[in-house]
Amino acid sequence: MPDAFHAVGKATPRIDAVERVTGRARYAGDLRFPNMLYARVLRSPHPHARIRRIDMSKALALPGVKAVLTRENCQVVWSGGDTRNKRYLFNNPVRFVGDPVAAVATTDRHLAEEALKRIVVDYEVLDFILDPEEALKPGAVEIQPGGNLSPNSKGQREAESYRRGDVEKGFADSDHVFEDLYVSKHVNNAQMEPRVSIAHWEGDKLTVWASTQGISNCQADMAKDLNLLPEQVRVICEYMGGGFGNKNQNHDFDLMAAVLSKETGRPVKLEFTRKEDYIGVHGRWPTRQYYKVGVNNDGTLQAIQLRGYSGMGPYRKSSGDIAGTELYHCPNVEKTVHPVYTNMSVGANFRGPAYPQGIFGIESMMDHIAYQLKMDPVEFRLKNCTQKYHDEVPYTSIGLQDCIRRGAEIFEWKKHLHPPGADPGLIKGGVGMAMGAFGAGIGKSSATLRLDASGHLWVYVGVTDIGTGAKTTMALLAAEATGINLEKVHVVWGDTDRCPYSVGESGSRTTNMTGYAVVEAARDLQRQLKEKGAPQGNDVLIAQSTPNPRLEGAARYSFAAHFVEVQVNAEFGNVRILKYVAVHDSGRVVNPLTAASQVKGGATMGIGMALHEELLYDRATGVPINPGYYGARVMTHMDAPEIEVHFVETEDAYGPYGAKSVGEPPITPSVAAIANAVFNATGRRIKELPITREKILGVTA
Amino acid sequence: MKPISRRLFIEETGLGILSTTVLPSVTGSPVEAQVNSPAVSAPRTKITIKVNDVSHHLEVEDRWTLAETLRDHLELTGTKIGCDRGECGACTVLLNEKPIYSCSYLSVWADGQSIQTVEGLAHGDHLDPLQQAFIEHDGPQCGYCTSGQLMSARALLNHNPSPTAKEVRRALSGNICRCSNYNRYVESILAAAKRGQKHA
Ligand code: FES
Ligand code: FES
Repeated sequence: MPDAFHAVGKATPRIDAVERVTGRARYAGDLRFPNMLYARVLRSPHPHARIRRIDMSKALALPGVKAVLTRENCQVVWSGGDTRNKRYLFNNPVRFVGDPVAAVATTDRHLAEEALKRIVVDYEVLDFILDPEEALKPGAVEIQPGGNLSPNSKGQREAESYRRGDVEKGFADSDHVFEDLYVSKHVNNAQMEPRVSIAHWEGDKLTVWASTQGISNCQADMAKDLNLLPEQVRVICEYMGGGFGNKNQNHDFDLMAAVLSKETGRPVKLEFTRKEDYIGVHGRWPTRQYYKVGVNNDGTLQAIQLRGYSGMGPYRKSSGDIAGTELYHCPNVEKTVHPVYTNMSVGANFRGPAYPQGIFGIESMMDHIAYQLKMDPVEFRLKNCTQKYHDEVPYTSIGLQDCIRRGAEIFEWKKHLHPPGADPGLIKGGVGMAMGAFGAGIGKSSATLRLDASGHLWVYVGVTDIGTGAKTTMALLAAEATGINLEKVHVVWGDTDRCPYSVGESGSRTTNMTGYAVVEAARDLQRQLKEKGAPQGNDVLIAQSTPNPRLEGAARYSFAAHFVEVQVNAEFGNVRILKYVAVHDSGRVVNPLTAASQVKGGATMGIGMALHEELLYDRATGVPINPGYYGARVMTHMDAPEIEVHFVETEDAYGPYGAKSVGEPPITPSVAAIANAVFNATGRRIKELPITREKILGVTA
Repeated sequence: MKPISRRLFIEETGLGILSTTVLPSVTGSPVEAQVNSPAVSAPRTKITIKVNDVSHHLEVEDRWTLAETLRDHLELTGTKIGCDRGECGACTVLLNEKPIYSCSYLSVWADGQSIQTVEGLAHGDHLDPLQQAFIEHDGPQCGYCTSGQLMSARALLNHNPSPTAKEVRRALSGNICRCSNYNRYVESILAAAKRGQKHA
């Protein structure tokens, strides 16, 4: 009964929108302090090399150069930079083009650039490997001690695996067995705000103005890596210009700025160029996915097997998983994924980390099978889509079938669908669809509320609002839970000295976890109001909550189905998107305005990943050749189609007012939906991302 | 440009900045910036630029881009730098009413010219119709590209008050939004144009 709400479910402009449109919103890079130094990082030009010697004398001789850090004088370990091995701020050997070698702090930005040029590094160049499967072959150069297969979560040198049933039996029982390889590439998050960090010490208290997706985690990590108590570190992030997974926790450059600042006794601002931003930290891990699927004539799935390889770069920052097989109901499933060290840029979190590429694989595979069986791809999905997580654990709520049905109806799927490649013209029309999903966790965060006598409510939450509208969502939830008008609700955010712990804006969990804490704190406030009455004069009421709700044997997922109509030009190879319908089950939608923006943005990003984006490497030298917006061909106004957004609101017993996740789900089906539409148009399946003009011409010409 | 040796250029940069921690003031009547600097750093040139209708007499380093001068020396940080090499449009400002990438335009070239930045769009609390529409239609997600989108849109509406969606996309094709909120930006600009028509 959404009508029962006065704030939740109402399309509400962001509470900080004025700051965002007037230039008043202050991002970390906008700040300057008296006496501030400018820092830059020198990075390895080689994909793999041992450093014999670093000569800093010419750099240090420059007046205005205040400090130079290298492995020689700085042994700080960046614990979040590698979950398996010790990763220093400066490593020897260097293992990818972009691996930090030195950092300088100088009195002027341009001088910092000059100083970098004057650092002379003597490298002994080593063999390198870019491809994850190559890296596992005997005799391959060892990138990390112990071999190139990164240890699994138990620390064993084994692939990550999941099994249910018996796939061999499943294949034997199948009428058809299909096998294929799908390949995805390294793409960069390419958030608009380049990475930047400002560090400043007052006595033994460190303040970091970071561009981070999570101030609390950043604070904890900084303290851990610098051997400080958490209360000695203050992290501030008022506004930040996007991250999509690449600004979680703390980063090596935050630590470098802190060390340089300590060394020089002055505030230090460490800046990145766009090129560094593309190669220096991380992008989405590339994958190679071998599928084998057994199916009966009537479309019943018998077995799914996935053997996958993920290129993690030389440091294991993230899971490297290949998600998507869980979208299907099937008695026999076997998945083994090998996270492998390579000498490419690091592969780690990027919006929906394991999903868009994995769903591209499985949803291309299943689409293909549906057509082979002469089944409507929508019917095939409705028949086989997941009902329980891993066919075992119930979902807290599931609107996947509703998303598919509703999408098919709005899109007029039946009317548009034709056999693959049936359009004989040079401009070939086609339609495609895919399912999407994303795990929406739940857990611990805190919120503090303060109510004053004038009836104004202050909400203290450790969010940063990376563009999702999290601040506004928190305000709406607080308004809803207290009955106070939104205009009287003020959010205090983005500063660890002022805000309690929040999980951070990653994993699409801010609404769920921090929002849940806000609602719980509001309950506490209501209780106090009943007991003590409204505050008078200078009195205030303070309420707080740190709930830790558990899922109790249930899985919490957000679901989606995307439908797309394309025109493929068989002569020039370009793809035009004529219609795009995205239907989402995100539980209760707290703010339909910002939620729809998330869907539009995520779907559009996925289109870029499907059609254009790839960080290309020169195979001979291991050097990335197209870092930057232009080279990577990110989506522009001219490429972006209208994304039509719909929500099916499921009733979910968990999360604030039944809200699930919104931020990451939209990118999960979009890559596959585009790929499937291109197949329907051309009748030829392109199994390697991105689906560029050249590849299309390769199949149509 | 004045000839100067590279060595001198570097040394003086260091000295010049070391002794200059004073930030030029921004608002009000023309201000003389950097006069306190005893040492001349890098090659420098005196310029006069009008920014959001305020004249500034500045001595800028020849290598400073306009974006840098605006952000670091006039405290106008609403103009953002996304790539610093003419690929993204985050730094878009209007130079004599035409949109330019201020990261790819040297400050010395702007001598005698008139510049409008995002800070110059609103008059007091009175927002530009574009800003109002951006708020209502949820234009900014992270907001980092927003100033650039606004300035390109302002330039468009100045000479074409009622553009089609296609014309909006074309005019803003040089403004990347990685949050990919393109639909919202186009929607906002069309709404602002419509509102402008009503008031005209
Ligand atoms: S910062 Fe000027 S175009 Fe990107
Ligand atoms: S709003 Fe984030 S880049 Fe455009």
